Amino acid sequence: MAFSKRKLKTDKHLTENQKKGLDLLDEKLSGKLLTHLNSCVHCGLCGESCLYYLYYGDEKYLPGNKVDLISRIYRRYHTVTGKIIPGLVGAKNFDDDTIQEMIDVIYGGCTMCGRCSMHCSVGIDIAFLVRTARSMLAEMDLVPEGLQSTVDTAVKTGNNMGIPQEDYIDTIKWLEEDLQMEVDDPNASIPLDKKGSKIFYTLNPREPKFFPLSISAAAMIFYAAKESWTLSSHFYDVTNYAYYSGDDKIGALITDRLRKEVENMGAETLVLAECGHGPRAIRWEGPRWTQKKYPFTTITLVELIAEYIRTGRIKLDPKKNTEPVTLHDPCNLVRSGGVIEEQRFILKHAVTDFVEMYPNRENNFCCGGGGGQLSMGEYAERRMDVAQLKADQIRETGADIVVTPCHNCIDQLMEVNKDYELGVKIKTMAEIVADALVLD
Amino acid sequence: MQVSETVFLISFCISASILFLMFIKAITRNPIDPSEAKGSTIKGIVYSFTAGMSPLKKETANKHWPTYIAGICYHFGIFLGFFWLFIHVSNISLVSIIYSFSRFIFIISIISGFGILLKRIINKKLRYLSNPDDYISNTLVTGFLIISLLNLYTISLRPLLWYYSAFLFLYIPVGKLKHAAYFILARIYLGLFYGKRGVWPLAKEN
Repeated sequence: MAFSKRKLKTDKHLTENQKKGLDLLDEKLSGKLLTHLNSCVHCGLCGESCLYYLYYGDEKYLPGNKVDLISRIYRRYHTVTGKIIPGLVGAKNFDDDTIQEMIDVIYGGCTMCGRCSMHCSVGIDIAFLVRTARSMLAEMDLVPEGLQSTVDTAVKTGNNMGIPQEDYIDTIKWLEEDLQMEVDDPNASIPLDKKGSKIFYTLNPREPKFFPLSISAAAMIFYAAKESWTLSSHFYDVTNYAYYSGDDKIGALITDRLRKEVENMGAETLVLAECGHGPRAIRWEGPRWTQKKYPFTTITLVELIAEYIRTGRIKLDPKKNTEPVTLHDPCNLVRSGGVIEEQRFILKHAVTDFVEMYPNRENNFCCGGGGGQLSMGEYAERRMDVAQLKADQIRETGADIVVTPCHNCIDQLMEVNKDYELGVKIKTMAEIVADALVLD
Repeated sequence: MQVSETVFLISFCISASILFLMFIKAITRNPIDPSEAKGSTIKGIVYSFTAGMSPLKKETANKHWPTYIAGICYHFGIFLGFFWLFIHVSNISLVSIIYSFSRFIFIISIISGFGILLKRIINKKLRYLSNPDDYISNTLVTGFLIISLLNLYTISLRPLLWYYSAFLFLYIPVGKLKHAAYFILARIYLGLFYGKRGVWPLAKEN
């Protein structure tokens, strides 16, 4: 039986910080959360859906256990049985041991890929519960250091890599000159802060910092499509690591900054660069965090490229990409964003030999780098261990190139490529499309 | 009306009221989601209750066929048990073939119930996840199925059925059996989530 107020709020055993975590759970206790917290029957059939459990076989990684890590606290402080006979229903005190266990599994043993939610025999949104647990921990300042520092950098500098504005502008200008030479057109441009452009394009800060060629590829596609577009010199970051840390307030702040920038530019459409969690955070979570509807349309670059191909705005010659290509589906884009067939449609037009990895689409396995794992050095060893599944998937396709529309996945796959000696090339969707472009 | 039957009806009303309140609470207090839909929430919910539940699509089913089938049989027996409670309360006469069919289902269901309980006891993974309520709920429900079956053979056990069912219904809101109220909502919320984002219904299958 659930009650609206936690009666043990003033329990003397709780520290002030623990009360903050419990207060946040109170605050978030919506009908949806109540439903998912009360639905698990401990059937234990979810293990095979989780890459951590598949690799380690340790029960602590069972998705059902991840549900329990938060629901047992809910039961303890919000149900009559949990308050009177906690042992009967496995209700637990929100003490240091429980909290340490949560941090270890909720941050260090889950990429929030949502594969278990898709397969849960009841229909519990397990990734949603894990994120709620992360929110409780974030409220208590218990986010692992690396992840928190990425969030802090984004808040402080406007992008998660802390790239100074001058460096960023220099990179864009250099790439523009490069584009002009490439297409032999002095008017080709990578517009910055061009008000009234139809499209406001975002970037993953990894692009200007480490992978400028993916910006060139996108610019080339926009050039071929004769698109009216712009980048911002201030707020261009497609990522929002507050989604991973669990901090809704910071998530809202970052969302609001980008929304205002798009409005300031007067763009009709916000195009989200190749990223998994970024498009999820901006498109789906941002409006919820800020409780504001965007006055512009929001789509991903993948959807836009597919539209260009469908409407004949760009022409591709698949014979320019003859090596076998496989696709890695980013979890947040596919399972939580509904961008499933578009990337396949593009690849079928851009390459001659497209091989699906198995399982794919909504059943694809995470690369191991999701959930903020790439920024949490504490769990780097686990991240590479669980990636064995992805390495095996890639190897079985026999592909020479792995395409994925997510820079986070790119980073992880590059490490996987090296560690598991796969000998493949990793590319973004824009890169493979740019390679196949036929310019008039 | 016998005392035992009255006790059962009171217990049923209390349990149903609590579950109804839980249900109402679980459909309210949801924050507004102002994001622009990519797909259809209605189609997502429909998919959630149809193809989304297909054992062919869910690894929790198709990688665990014996457990899945046992679970389905178990739940079928439970619903049949509730059906017979209604029949007994209403004093409706049914043709003998329904008795025979019900006995068969109850036997399969009881075997399934014991199988699921045994698995929970011997499987390390399940023991890790389980708390006392998991064992109690399983045992209580299997006991209910046994008594329901015996009541199809003799009317003399009717008071036992009423008292046992009274206890069972009072226990439902206490432990995990309350998923009876939340299961439908969980699937609705999942359908809403995937439907709005254009994930469900799936355009193409794996």
